[in-house]
Amino acid sequence: MKKLLNPFFTLKFFVLSALMIFYSFTTFSQGAANVSGKVTDEKGEPLPGVTIIIKGTGQGAQTDISGNYAVPATAGATLVFSFVGFEEKEILVGNESLINVALAPSSKYLDEVVVSYGRQREREVTGSIAQITASELQDMPVNQFAQQLQGKVAGVQIAQSTGQPGRGMEFRIRGAASLFASNQPLFVIDGIPITGSINNINPAEIETFTVLKDASASALYGSRAANGVILITTKHAKPGDSKIEFNSYYGIQKLPENKVPEMMTAQGFAQFMKERWEDRVKYEGLKTPLEAEYQNPEQYGEGTNWFKHLTQTAPIQSYDLTIQSARERSSSTVIAGYQSQEGVLINTGTQLFSLRLNQDLTLSNNKLKVGFGLAPSYRKDHNNRLATDGVGGLFERIFEASPLFAPVNPDGTYPKFVSSPGMVQYINPYAQFKLSQDDYKTTRILGNTYLNYEFLEGLSLNTNLALDKGAETRTQFTPSLLTSNNVATGLSSSVDNYSWTAEANLTYNKTFLNDHNIEALAGYSAQRYESVSNSVTGTGFPSDDVPYVNAATVISAGAGGTTQYSLLSMLGRLNYNFKGKYLLSGAVRRDGSSRFGANRKYGTFPSVSAGWVVSDESFMQGYDFLDLLKVRASYGVTGNNNFGNFEAISTLGEFNYVLNGQLVPGSTINSLGNSELAWERNKQFDIGFDLAVLNNRLSFTYDYYHRISDGLIQNRPIPRASGFSTILYNIGVFEFWGHELGLNSSILTGKLKWNSNFNMSFDRNLIKSLVDPGFIRRNNTVTSDYYRNQEGHHLGEFYGFIFEGLYKDEEDLTKSAKYGSASDVGTIKVRDINGDGKIDDVNDRTFIGDPTPDFNFGFSNDFRFKNFDLSITMAGSVGGKILNAAKWAYRTNLDGSRVMVAAAADRWRSPENPGSGIYPRTKTGTTAMGRQVNSQWLEDGSYLTAKNISLGYTFGLKDNLLLKSLRVYGSVQQAFVLTRYSGMNPEINFSGLDPTQGIGLDENSYPVPRTFAIGISTTFK
Amino acid sequence: MKKIYILASIIGLTVVSSCKDDFIDLVPEDQVSAVTFYQTEAQFNQAVTTAYVPLRDLLVNDYFTAEMRSDNTHYQPYPSNRGTAYLYRESIADFTDNPTNSYTNAVYFHCYNGIAKANIVIQRIASSDLSESVKNNIDGQAKFLRAFNYFKLVRYFGGVPLFLKEVTTAEDAFLPRSTTEEVYTQIIADAQDAINKLAAPAKFPQTGQATKGAATMLLAEVYMTQKKYAEAEALLTTLPAMGYGLLPNYADVFSTANKNSKESIFEVQYLEGLQGGQQSNFIYLFLPRTSNTNLITGVATNNSGTGGWNTPTQDLINAYEPNDKRKDASIGIAEGTYNASDLLVISANKSIVNYTPAAGKIGVPYIKKYLHPHTNPNNTNDNWPIYRYADALLLLAEAQNEQGKSGLALTNLNQVRDRAFGAGVAPVTTTDQAALRDIIAHERRVELAFENHRWHDLVRTGKAVEVMNAYGTKLKQQNPSLSPDSYNVTADRLLYPIPQSERELNPALTQNQGYF
Repeated sequence: MKKLLNPFFTLKFFVLSALMIFYSFTTFSQGAANVSGKVTDEKGEPLPGVTIIIKGTGQGAQTDISGNYAVPATAGATLVFSFVGFEEKEILVGNESLINVALAPSSKYLDEVVVSYGRQREREVTGSIAQITASELQDMPVNQFAQQLQGKVAGVQIAQSTGQPGRGMEFRIRGAASLFASNQPLFVIDGIPITGSINNINPAEIETFTVLKDASASALYGSRAANGVILITTKHAKPGDSKIEFNSYYGIQKLPENKVPEMMTAQGFAQFMKERWEDRVKYEGLKTPLEAEYQNPEQYGEGTNWFKHLTQTAPIQSYDLTIQSARERSSSTVIAGYQSQEGVLINTGTQLFSLRLNQDLTLSNNKLKVGFGLAPSYRKDHNNRLATDGVGGLFERIFEASPLFAPVNPDGTYPKFVSSPGMVQYINPYAQFKLSQDDYKTTRILGNTYLNYEFLEGLSLNTNLALDKGAETRTQFTPSLLTSNNVATGLSSSVDNYSWTAEANLTYNKTFLNDHNIEALAGYSAQRYESVSNSVTGTGFPSDDVPYVNAATVISAGAGGTTQYSLLSMLGRLNYNFKGKYLLSGAVRRDGSSRFGANRKYGTFPSVSAGWVVSDESFMQGYDFLDLLKVRASYGVTGNNNFGNFEAISTLGEFNYVLNGQLVPGSTINSLGNSELAWERNKQFDIGFDLAVLNNRLSFTYDYYHRISDGLIQNRPIPRASGFSTILYNIGVFEFWGHELGLNSSILTGKLKWNSNFNMSFDRNLIKSLVDPGFIRRNNTVTSDYYRNQEGHHLGEFYGFIFEGLYKDEEDLTKSAKYGSASDVGTIKVRDINGDGKIDDVNDRTFIGDPTPDFNFGFSNDFRFKNFDLSITMAGSVGGKILNAAKWAYRTNLDGSRVMVAAAADRWRSPENPGSGIYPRTKTGTTAMGRQVNSQWLEDGSYLTAKNISLGYTFGLKDNLLLKSLRVYGSVQQAFVLTRYSGMNPEINFSGLDPTQGIGLDENSYPVPRTFAIGISTTFK
Repeated sequence: MKKIYILASIIGLTVVSSCKDDFIDLVPEDQVSAVTFYQTEAQFNQAVTTAYVPLRDLLVNDYFTAEMRSDNTHYQPYPSNRGTAYLYRESIADFTDNPTNSYTNAVYFHCYNGIAKANIVIQRIASSDLSESVKNNIDGQAKFLRAFNYFKLVRYFGGVPLFLKEVTTAEDAFLPRSTTEEVYTQIIADAQDAINKLAAPAKFPQTGQATKGAATMLLAEVYMTQKKYAEAEALLTTLPAMGYGLLPNYADVFSTANKNSKESIFEVQYLEGLQGGQQSNFIYLFLPRTSNTNLITGVATNNSGTGGWNTPTQDLINAYEPNDKRKDASIGIAEGTYNASDLLVISANKSIVNYTPAAGKIGVPYIKKYLHPHTNPNNTNDNWPIYRYADALLLLAEAQNEQGKSGLALTNLNQVRDRAFGAGVAPVTTTDQAALRDIIAHERRVELAFENHRWHDLVRTGKAVEVMNAYGTKLKQQNPSLSPDSYNVTADRLLYPIPQSERELNPALTQNQGYF
């Protein structure tokens, strides 16, 4: 039976359905024409392809390209004009022979929003959702759609935690935190749940985004919906939409310089080293002479500014061509795009080639709809996956290189190490960027095909088959200069993956007794993912000339493997409303997943919601200014399966050894399975209301949510004496709650139009319970044990010593608790928390700050005056703390082993010369405390960012032969960031690259560049 | 008609539903399932082989805790890098370590890693249907490794949690500490079982697997630690019959040409080469930090991030008697000057015999035992000796002397000395028990230098506090930069602290006295 479940099965399903549809085709016949006329839309534009049927005869005709028609109708006959997307119109034929008709757009189409497994009238939605039209976001010179959404939706935080082009976008909906699994919401593109990365998707292909926030909105995605769901609808041509559009922008990106850490210059560093030596002579009796390099600091000026050498003003460009045509029965959309972005770090960049074809066909009297979408894309990353971010990353190295060294020798070669005496030797970061060759190519094909058939009035079968195919190859070469042992290494690797999803559901719509409306849905879904990967590493290259593994004389490592997961689901939903004002909805999904423990494979995820359109009540009739007041509430359960594929079962690992002088294979269990690993259950309650007044010019939405994450899945640390360090485990209960506000207003509607959108969210969390010992921390070493998740505390609270200044003098030192012999006058003093008179690593550290912001907000304004338009989008966050590890763990290392921030020059040197009181003395053996987390490291992470400002001008083109419209615009992305945070990217404060690494930790991710761009949007006739 | 198709669709859906369990029962296809593994002899051999691998991880930490903690070796100071990883290792030598020290913690973890891998084999082979002889061989190896690791643990940490079963759930991982006696009882049971089940080496060079000889030696050392001298003696005297003996030349014992020789009772295996990752790199850890190792190792690399540890102390160098060939075989001199980055710019590789530094240079001693020709940097072929026959002879001499059998003791002691000085050149003749005790201890120090025995011997013989305080006082005079807290050696410091991280996870674990 297993074999039945391949795509062929679903294919058969389609063939079967297609066959039966042929039987029900209705045919047209053309008779003598005695009524003719022209059909237009409400603006008077001709509508080609409108169907005209003489009621009761089956006879009819279609309008031609100019909207003209002719039918053999006689007086007394009724003509039915129908066209997809427009209200059907019936006209009784009198004696006239010319009947011109203007069709009005279907209101049904206009106020519908995309919801899970379908569409729904916005007024009848009972869950917490937000829909955004992509065209409102069009001017942003960014190549990831996530960047466009920043600040747009209450409760949806999106951060760019790295400046790597095309990478590193992090979402958090309602503060969701999975700690172990990804925090990303589920992305569903045209009904296909996306597996893996979303960064190959060209923003130009997108029509709308719908964010499903509460459990009732997202419960139909069951086990994948815990972090919320984002439904993406791509562009499908609509009637009247036939056009060719060309959009392009060109921009330059530059890192904002005001946030670049000010490091010591060559002179400053030499001066520091000289003074450090003087202090060692004075306090430590040092006898050795000062190194020649540091004897005359005056001889140096600024020296090498490594940051300037390694960063550049980089171009970004994008070209999109959209061709749409829609006839009555068919529509097609083709979108071709090319984007190229160079990194602000030299010799890095990315390019994306993308194409999307969407074809839709309506047959058989609107009963049968078939279509397919195909979206191949190809991304080329060059040096875009070098280890730039994080501890020991190349971005950190930029600030650690000695300003006394030039990045290139006079003879054009690169110095290998760029460290002055006393410094830790690191490889020349400039050479690393110049000489590294790391090309990563991603091919992605998203394809889907659907077939919907309405068997009976109101009863439809909807089927959807989708494929997500990916292929990635990586060719990497690290020349000998860049490796510490002078051995060049090359890597060749590839990943091939595909995932198919087959879904079928039946929907039934019925209104009975006039006022009772029901919509029922029952469906089935199966998904399977498979990936095959391999890699080969080679060394022993005869030279650096041929950078492919082919030239390697030794294959030093090789790997190949495969992984799978599968998901099998049943789902159902029942919506009921009475007169459209009392709304009820219930939904349930049952998921079986290969990822869970043998005993816990299945999970059921129900939800219920209700709404009441108060403004439709008769007692509200007196309040004319009120257009809508809807109260809604929901409760539901969702899950999270977004973690590795075989985590619940014990796996074997290879541990090879040598016997008889030869390598022999060893194999045994290397991970601890958990057959009781159960679904994480997120029980979420939501209550809110929607209010619209003054002819919908002002609308307001409020939601309160409360979520209990029960059985949160995380790697639970266990005593290592067991031979294992962690087990994937349902570790405890977290509570999340918050308030969301959204305000939309058309402030001015006259000649000057002004629309404004403001949203705000207050997200809170609490760790209710955790398995023993009641906390989970990052790791065991004091120096990077930055945070703890502990029962009774908030997520990821920072943990460390409490800074109390420097020991002022001998008296202060004598009176105060000491950190062994490392404490001396002028060194860092921390609080003796347990009061035992000694400072130690275990008893004198505590919680020192909370990364969770008090609130986040977004604020967008659009202005229109004559042909000008201006839009300003801002986003911000208030109250979260950031642990600036990037600065304190490395850039303030007073041992002289790394270049320091310039401010460290003002340090303690003697009781008479105590410096700024921030930086301690340099005495050997006393500097360790400075590298351990203390409250000095914490900073306020509040910020306000102007995400985008764009100004456009639309040309009047009434007489142009070629163009229908032309708009030019100029735009600034990341125009300014207002923050007191001293690091480079305050957006780190709710996002990290890896959720297990905690939140609000700045460990050298590189900042988001500011982009200036100009663009054009044209529509051809 | 239409209704039929609706029906067909519904049936279709039902068909899909009915095979759902197959669809979501997936197992990794790129590896043998853990469920079906552990059946055949080959699989059990693979499983027991993995239990040797953690010994390598243990070794790269064990020299800090067993040798650098003692008076045999110290570290090269690195004033320009005070990173935590350096402080941790230095503090082991200086007796200022605490429970968060990741290097002493690593010893604990790696021992248990070996124990866990042995436990899987021991538990699963018991219920397998392999032949008795196959079972004995595999079970015996696993028991030896388990006993070996617990013996390390009990000497370093005292009574530790006694994991004897395969851990399969989180709950299994939380055990309290057992008493020292309970741990020793288990070690003796396992070692005895291994002796009974394992065979003596079938050939020399040996395979590298644990043998009856290895288990015998292990149990003998356990008995010596418990001062059960008669039992130790009885075990040690069975070794010659298993084919063990001394190699004629001391330096050859460590040669990569003589791996698993008849002198070797148990050693950890390594294999040079760019493939497979089986190489050793001890010499690069033990050389002073330098940006060019070429003059010493014959291969140029920079070991500034890894080297500078386990430097032979002057105290040890002075301990070698004149004309002891072992001194030149064990220690070399890297001559050069320290640059401002605290890296030694090496100008010559010198012999320690009659060494005086050239003008303007200093000579930094390094461990030469593990230096043999190799092709790639950080990629050597050297095995690490755990037990060898010379060790057995000296233990035997000690056991006999403790029982008043000084004549027998002298015979065994002088076998070792004859090789070191030439036959009959410098035999020991004293039969005074106390004097002979010191002589044997001294002999063990120089014979087994850098083989991770010194600290255990000092603790076992009750000398650690006295010897290390005396040594520390001298060292602090020579080196004023050592902190005042260093080398304040008390009885508490004979045990290392239980890792703080383990105690935080499992509050039932008590800490050793004297640590926070």
